[in-house]
Amino acid sequence: MRNTKKVAKWEIKRNMKNKTFLIGLFISPILFLAFYLIPDLFNNSDEDAVSTTVFVNDQLGVYENLEATVQQAGAEWELQPTDISEEEAAGALESEENSAYVFIDERAFDGGVLPVYQSEEISPDFINEVQLLGAPLQAMQIEELGLTPEEASVITQGVVFEEASPDASAETEAGMDDAFLERIVPGIFAAAVLLSIVFTGMAIFQSASQEKKDKIAEIILSSLTPGELMQGKIIGYFVLGIIQVLVFIVLVLPVLVWKIDVPILEYLFVPELALMLVIAVLGYLLFAALFVGIGATMADISTAGNFQGMIMMLPFAALIFVGPVFNDPSGIWAQVGSYIPFTSPAILILRLSLLEEWPWIEIIIGLAILIVSVWVFMKLAGKIFKIGILMYGKNATPGEIWKWIRA
Amino acid sequence: METMLTVDNLGKSFKDKKIVSNISFEVKKGEIMALLGPNGAGKSTTIRNIMGIMYPDEGTITFRDKGKKDIPRNKIGYLPEERGLYKNVKVMDILLYLAELKDYPLDRAKERALELLKKFDLEGKDKVSVEELSKGMGQKVQFIAAILHEPELLILDEPFSGLDPVSQELFKNEIRGLAQNGTAILLSSHQMNLVEEMADRLFLIHRGTKVIYGPLDDVKKQYANFKCTIHGVNERSLLESLPEVERVEQNEETAVLYLSKDVQPANWLKNLPAQLDVQELSIDRISLHEIFIDIATDKNLLKREENLDA
Repeated sequence: MRNTKKVAKWEIKRNMKNKTFLIGLFISPILFLAFYLIPDLFNNSDEDAVSTTVFVNDQLGVYENLEATVQQAGAEWELQPTDISEEEAAGALESEENSAYVFIDERAFDGGVLPVYQSEEISPDFINEVQLLGAPLQAMQIEELGLTPEEASVITQGVVFEEASPDASAETEAGMDDAFLERIVPGIFAAAVLLSIVFTGMAIFQSASQEKKDKIAEIILSSLTPGELMQGKIIGYFVLGIIQVLVFIVLVLPVLVWKIDVPILEYLFVPELALMLVIAVLGYLLFAALFVGIGATMADISTAGNFQGMIMMLPFAALIFVGPVFNDPSGIWAQVGSYIPFTSPAILILRLSLLEEWPWIEIIIGLAILIVSVWVFMKLAGKIFKIGILMYGKNATPGEIWKWIRA
Repeated sequence: METMLTVDNLGKSFKDKKIVSNISFEVKKGEIMALLGPNGAGKSTTIRNIMGIMYPDEGTITFRDKGKKDIPRNKIGYLPEERGLYKNVKVMDILLYLAELKDYPLDRAKERALELLKKFDLEGKDKVSVEELSKGMGQKVQFIAAILHEPELLILDEPFSGLDPVSQELFKNEIRGLAQNGTAILLSSHQMNLVEEMADRLFLIHRGTKVIYGPLDDVKKQYANFKCTIHGVNERSLLESLPEVERVEQNEETAVLYLSKDVQPANWLKNLPAQLDVQELSIDRISLHEIFIDIATDKNLLKREENLDA
């Protein structure tokens, strides 16, 4: 174990001193932020341009109510009181852009129609948006009629048609939103951790085959056993993956918290996260075992054979299931995906994020399969690594690898 | 002298092919023991079995602490035949890592590394990246890595391959110095002249089996008989009829006469018959080099001698 720690420490140190690794460490969160923020940037500037100035000639004393309504609705309006007359407004609009004049007077009670004068280049949606000013005025109308507050609320409520399904009543909708976020936020986080450590773990493969190429393997192995070397690499790259996750968190999370209205931190640190992280770590160990074993069979990454290439693609096998699982998170595809060790980490995390009721039996079976697979693959990788790491100059064929495994 | 390493009846096969069999030797404190043999004789396989990189099918390997089954890796320095270094790391970093793997104290390792780098003309290279070193410099760094932790047993597999004469000399002196300070050294090579200069004892291996094993001086005495090379046109039968001649190799006008062990060169020369055609004549001992070539090319010289001995 002491030697394992030394190897792990070395792998971490070696990578942290490597410029390529350091650049990679920061480039992915920065790219993420760039993709996330740049479209946002353009959107914002667009919206600024269409911010509309609405002048209100208020004769009924409802301006404050209107202001509150506009603020609540979040319309991009700048509300301003004015005393201008209708005739003058027509003249003023010719010299102004993106503005409108609204006249609120007795006509609201007489015919219920109020005039709006708008400049030429105003957004075509404005006339629809302006209808929201109707609500406070309607309230005034009702008040004038002298109805009781109960009667008033019945009238203002209006009649709405809403989509409904037999099992989900409208009331649980809001509650589910919260629960959904509670699951999806840790799910996304766990998936990010899985992806990050698996990607960093792919470097294990590089590290093992490089050790062969540089012919240092035998020197190293004169001081420790192949098992210690392999474990050291797996642990070392795990830590590097976690460092990647930390860098991601430090760079990206503040931006997300700032940009998104959802209280991410509250949803992130929930008990569900622990199980998802355990799944992510198991997934890492499985792929790390695969990569370190395969890396030891190869003289050079550029000469990878079909067999080795296919194994490198295994982490992406989960993508096959993503579509069906989204459609039906408890369907047959979802179950199959949870039981295949190479896809189960990603699929389990996905399902746990989507499902309200966790299928504990399936989760336990899936986890058990995963744990057994990790153990088996670690053993196999150990056997392959032991022989492969000392085979110079050529790639091992699948036949040879099979022979080592049986030995 | 204390025995640091005992190899007893070692045997190893790959698939059905026997690579080495019945290999037995010892390496003692303060001596240089040479493992000799042509390419493919089984030297590296023997060494890899000692280092625990392979596991022997037969026989045992014991280190000084006989009670312990584990290989005392911390006390062994190893320079493999297939060797290299991580490319994109600094010289000092890799030296310290290798020393750390041997549980050698870090500050002491740093001190010794600087000392040794200086000794091997690599002063100031400690902060240089390995990929910037020339091949020879790289080999020096590997050698330093093998001896940095002051091993009690040093195993060098073909340490001189690829070295220029100056570096060879440097390595030779360092190895001798280490032996004088009590390090047990097992050294494999196919360069007989170097071994002849350095080794105290040797083990000659061919096709995975022992050919000769013993102190260098004894081997020389035993096997390095006199031979007489004559340029001139002579009948083979005449040459063979000369006294003390065990074997004749004739090639056009040159004949090499292998003489028996007890020959008195001066007397023997005096008694050469007058009809012998001598354009040129030389008499000297068979060198280790010749013994080596002889074995590698499967001539029968040594076998005959062994039979005679028996």
